[in-house]
Amino acid sequence: MADQATPARGITRREFLNYVALASMALFTAEVGGAILAFSLPRFREGEFGGTKSIGTIGDRLPPADSAPVAYADIKTWIVNIGPEAASKGGGKQGLVALYKVCVHLGCLYAWVDSNQRFECPCHGSKYQLDGTYLEGPAPRDLDRFAVIIKDDQGTTIAQTVTISGDPNYGAPIQIPDNASNYTIVVDTGNKIDLGKRHYYTGGA
Amino acid sequence: MRLEPFATLNDMRKQYGIRKTILIKVDESVERFTAGLRINDVRGVLRGDPPAKPNPRVKPHTEGAWFHIWPTFYHEAVTKFYPTFKLGMITTIFFIIEIITGLFLMLYYTPAPGISYDNMLRILSTVPLGQFVRDIHRLAAEGMVIAVWLHMGRTFLTGSYKKPRQFTWATGVILLLLTIALSYTGYLLPWDQLAYWAVTIGASMADAFPPPEVGKAIGLLLKGAPDLGAGGLLRFYLLHVFALPLIAIIFVFVHYYKVIRHGHSLPPGLENIGEDNARKVPPDRRVPFLPDILTNELLWFGLIMAAMIVPIALNLYHAPLEHAANSQSTPLHTVAPWYFLFVQGWLKLGDKTFWGVIFPTILIGLLLFWPYIDYNPSRRYGDRKIALMAMMVTIGLLVVSSYMGTPGFSVVTAPQLEVGFHALPPEQPGPIRSIAFDQLLVGTWSTQDPSAVPGNALELQAVMREIKSEIDSLPKTILVNNQPVNYFNMYAELTIEVAQGTPDNPTLKHIVLAVHWDGEPIDLVRNQPGYFTDTFVHKDSKYTASGE
Repeated sequence: MADQATPARGITRREFLNYVALASMALFTAEVGGAILAFSLPRFREGEFGGTKSIGTIGDRLPPADSAPVAYADIKTWIVNIGPEAASKGGGKQGLVALYKVCVHLGCLYAWVDSNQRFECPCHGSKYQLDGTYLEGPAPRDLDRFAVIIKDDQGTTIAQTVTISGDPNYGAPIQIPDNASNYTIVVDTGNKIDLGKRHYYTGGA
Repeated sequence: MRLEPFATLNDMRKQYGIRKTILIKVDESVERFTAGLRINDVRGVLRGDPPAKPNPRVKPHTEGAWFHIWPTFYHEAVTKFYPTFKLGMITTIFFIIEIITGLFLMLYYTPAPGISYDNMLRILSTVPLGQFVRDIHRLAAEGMVIAVWLHMGRTFLTGSYKKPRQFTWATGVILLLLTIALSYTGYLLPWDQLAYWAVTIGASMADAFPPPEVGKAIGLLLKGAPDLGAGGLLRFYLLHVFALPLIAIIFVFVHYYKVIRHGHSLPPGLENIGEDNARKVPPDRRVPFLPDILTNELLWFGLIMAAMIVPIALNLYHAPLEHAANSQSTPLHTVAPWYFLFVQGWLKLGDKTFWGVIFPTILIGLLLFWPYIDYNPSRRYGDRKIALMAMMVTIGLLVVSSYMGTPGFSVVTAPQLEVGFHALPPEQPGPIRSIAFDQLLVGTWSTQDPSAVPGNALELQAVMREIKSEIDSLPKTILVNNQPVNYFNMYAELTIEVAQGTPDNPTLKHIVLAVHWDGEPIDLVRNQPGYFTDTFVHKDSKYTASGE
């Protein structure tokens, strides 16, 4: 029995086959783990809560420039008409934007506070300008926006939000065309625009 | 050789008679059931007799499944209140209470939006003792979080995590995390505003996990959808009632097994530095588990139950339930559960990936591996000045960051909204609704002159004074977009009118709170200057400050 006490040199056939068996079990476990993950990940269409949604004509639905935003609960959207004042305080561009109602910090719904003329988040105090640019608080970036499409009464697209990331006008407000009161505003909640950073407020003109 | 067969009942009856045979069989059954104690041994335990020799009372520990995770005897020095403060045992007691009350609550609960909240109302209103069981479940959950934190603090204080108990400490840290996870997943189940938004905030922290693709996947796995909904509620429910308790029970057994393998660590001064004598208990200092320790633990169980039942029975505490979850409206000053307040405080400091994920992960890692980092072999307080100082600093930081997590810290909104929130909170009764119905005097009352309220409505008068002091405590100037905005000469007016019933016998009153200040804007709904919020109070509303 002396050879039993001697440590084995190299790998025996049995040892090798056992390693192979263990490795195949590990591989199987990993596969099962992957399958469980795939099983548990929910399937949904991005923007399921509305897809594209027509909210009415510019004449009926567009708030006056620089006035309080209008909420659309079913598509979790604020419709804002950025006028010269809000533009000069915020991102500098005038026009129509659709802001996603969820705070980019931790998912609470921020609200418009009229007396302070800004959006305020009730949970952690992030504040945003009327056009969604970041003011203060812990939020990491400006508010997210949805792409907006303006259609005329024939259904032809007149204007739409630039959704190509990297374009200098990415997510910029849509200029309201003249004599557009019969045109329809369509919000595409499947097309969320993440401006990616804070455009710091500089103190106004 | 011929083997004797087992004696049949008939053989025994012939030999001993019926009465004695039954006694012998009952005795044998008791011995099987108790894993080693016969009837006389059980009586000896109950009478406090000294054990027979050889001691039959160690048998349940060696033979039985349940008792084998308890030591047969404890060192006398660890049976006192110091050094353990009984905190590990108290945590276990809370856990057992949670399992039992949780099973009963499950009888009346379905995890689905639209149903769950009705289930809560049913539990509170029509299920016999439903509110009581829910209150106990809630109180024991809070108690368990507190006890498990204190237990960890105590273990650190006495240096009990040191060799050979490093692994026991690590399993304890895992149990701490499991306790918090259990409490947090349970928070969502009532499906009220409190639950929905507190859990939304917490789940958004998971979204912050780097890199963004992984964070998004974790958020989806947890919530079952981009927003909390039916999928998220079901997932939280399954975690709460099945997955997490299962893992927790496994770790409780590992933790307990390690405790008997190493013995309860002795008070630091009792042994030489580097020594561990917990397993070498001198015979004269042994306290047997049966009956001394067991009866003591049962006493504590009774004390803890009493400590929860008395405040509930006296209406001093009831588990809160707010309005049904509304995914379209976040109440002002929503916060995560209190044991996450410190994380909330950090989150106000900035980047949620760092403060919500990376920083807590570093802290948990530090906690988990602390016994392997701390190389100081001494458990004596005098030799551990740095470690104990680090503990005090950590506690201080947790308290300060928890304060930073409260709404009062750096969540600034317009003062008139704060006044409205304080006087007529959207999700709690608040001071105005708590005024006795007959003291809600019809008329208009102002905080400029609270003493104008007649003496037969002292509660109303007190509330007017309270609102006045709330207004006085608010800032008179706040910065909006870096520009100072003044809120000078602010006062509140309470207008009470009869909404239903006759002036002599009102059944419903309408209460309007108006806040006025210099330069107030026009309220768009009322077309009057000022800020307005209102409520209705019925004569049978029975709002109480404890919140029902």
